[in-house]
Amino acid sequence: MGIFNSLNASASALTAQRLRMDVVSSNLANAETTRASQTEDGQWQPYRRKTVTFQPNGQSFQSHLQTAMGSSTDSAQGVEVTDIKEDPEPFNMMYNPNHPDANDDGYVAMPNVDPLKEMVDLMSATRSYEANVTAMNANKSMLMKALEIGR
Amino acid sequence: MKLFGSTFQVLENSMNYASQKNQTITNNIANVDTPNFKSKDVVFKDVLANEVNNSLETKRTNEKHIPFSSYRGKSYKVVTNSNTTYNHNGNNVDMDKEMSDLAKNQIYYQALVDRLNGKFRSLQSVLKGGQ
Repeated sequence: MGIFNSLNASASALTAQRLRMDVVSSNLANAETTRASQTEDGQWQPYRRKTVTFQPNGQSFQSHLQTAMGSSTDSAQGVEVTDIKEDPEPFNMMYNPNHPDANDDGYVAMPNVDPLKEMVDLMSATRSYEANVTAMNANKSMLMKALEIGR
Repeated sequence: MKLFGSTFQVLENSMNYASQKNQTITNNIANVDTPNFKSKDVVFKDVLANEVNNSLETKRTNEKHIPFSSYRGKSYKVVTNSNTTYNHNGNNVDMDKEMSDLAKNQIYYQALVDRLNGKFRSLQSVLKGGQ
């Protein structure tokens, strides 16, 4: 049982939550981007909203076997980001005939980003980040306390 | 008469438990946004004495076979709370519970360290003849 296991678990969560905040920021920044990528025939594609997928760390066969055999104490392993997925929701069609990317009917495909959703996600990530900082500080003070043994 | 008695062993076991509990809570908090993650908890094994007594014993016909026993001499055990769902994504980490457990466990650990130090101090006082 490594003494820094918990700190490593907290650190992995901090990294994951920060990445989530980065992705939210990117979504918000590109909420109006109509030219994110190009198809083969040269058509511009608007930006697609991105989401982050989490998974508990240590999902390998080896760690499962060790847990089943009891040789590894089912210790803190943290979280890891497996994927940054694109939201498959359809684009918002907005009527704006003067827009350079408008189609023949005068509609522009806008990114499927909902700022409200993004803000909720951002707040959730911030709160989780704070909780992990608290956990990390608790760990730290426990380790410091352990160093006082026999002093 | 043994110099150290069983106090140290009891305290050591309790500190191992607190340390494991801390790791488990940290892991739960780290996975608060992970879909289908089920929270874990650490319990003293005394509570699960029946489970330990009823654990399977397997016969090994070869030295290289994997030993199959759940009891490894520890006084605690990590269990998964898999029968509840707290969130839409199958996650059942209760953040309020985890944070309060974290604070509780921290104080518990510090109390154990204090007790350990107190024990050392009284031993020292005995060794020095009360000076």
